[in-house]
Amino acid sequence: MFDKIKLDNLKNEGVENVPMKERREFLKMGFALTGIFAGGTIFSAVSSIDRVFASSEEFASKYPYKPHYSMVIHQDRCIDCERCVEACAATNHVPHEGYRTRILQRDVPDAVGQKREFIPVLCNQCNLPQCTRVCPTKATYKDPQNGIVMMDIAKCIGCLTCQEGCPYNARYFNEEKHAVDKCNFCFDTRLSKGEKLTGCAAACPAQCRVFGDLSDQSSEVYRKVHQIEKAVWVLRPEAGTRPNVFYTKG
Amino acid sequence: MNKSITVIIAAALMSLALAGPGLAGDNTNHGGDIVYTKPVKSVLFSHKVHVEQKGLTCDMCHARSFEMEALKAQENPDFTMESLYQGNYCGACHNGTMAFASNTRCASCHTGVKGSTVAQGH
Repeated sequence: MFDKIKLDNLKNEGVENVPMKERREFLKMGFALTGIFAGGTIFSAVSSIDRVFASSEEFASKYPYKPHYSMVIHQDRCIDCERCVEACAATNHVPHEGYRTRILQRDVPDAVGQKREFIPVLCNQCNLPQCTRVCPTKATYKDPQNGIVMMDIAKCIGCLTCQEGCPYNARYFNEEKHAVDKCNFCFDTRLSKGEKLTGCAAACPAQCRVFGDLSDQSSEVYRKVHQIEKAVWVLRPEAGTRPNVFYTKG
Repeated sequence: MNKSITVIIAAALMSLALAGPGLAGDNTNHGGDIVYTKPVKSVLFSHKVHVEQKGLTCDMCHARSFEMEALKAQENPDFTMESLYQGNYCGACHNGTMAFASNTRCASCHTGVKGSTVAQGH
């Protein structure tokens, strides 16, 4: 019925340039497919493995980092107990006014059954991060080995351009360090010391956050991202940053 | 000037007097909202939903699953999801037959840290 479109070859024209007619068509399709409860923006309504950009063909066949750290979040398992937030703060000395990970709440009063959901968010450790691109001093950079978006606080001048560049609002200014601070998958505090999990993943009582190496085909994250039985999506895919934090339900 | 202030105060006192027994009445009638904070923050149990909307009577839960004293259950070491799946506490009804199963719709009962701060008026 339709010609096969190679989505990855298409140029991203930006959401603001979508003509009204197409927008309407898309919305209709989105409603038909998922109802009005599709999470995030309208463009995440059809998210599936092909549109989960980090695992599109080129990245799936050859993940660029080793280990390629990734997190799969089972959104429906989150109960906002915030043990992850507490563990993160204790592990990484996050001050009360800052955050490296947060839990968002979404209420849908008209929904059938459950009317509330919680959405854990953190730095998506994007493959094409905007924050590193806009940093004038290269204080934030993509680690060439493991792909974690790191901070070199000695180089940070506190201009906050990275905050503007980040589509996920994953950065805060740490007064004590006098530098921007962000999630680094607990690299300095846990992973580099031999721990296998981030502080948040280890603290979760509901196995909501699955952490692992996406380049290892035997890993749980690889299996969860590469199956087609359950929808897997990323937040704000239209930003085109190819996140390494994935979301699923069930 | 003084007179108008007196009138305002009198009106405020009257509205308090009217609202007061009403609120207290709701609480004594069916127990009000219970916010559990153990073992995780936090779960909201609404007597209003269970008694007024679902039509449960006191002894349906307070005979065996829960003592009358609020929050007594969360002091027990077996007040866990695993225990609910065995049919204890909320699991006596939330088993997929009488009410939605305890291992589904997590955030229906779990209102989280955000929910507990709202419930406590912060």
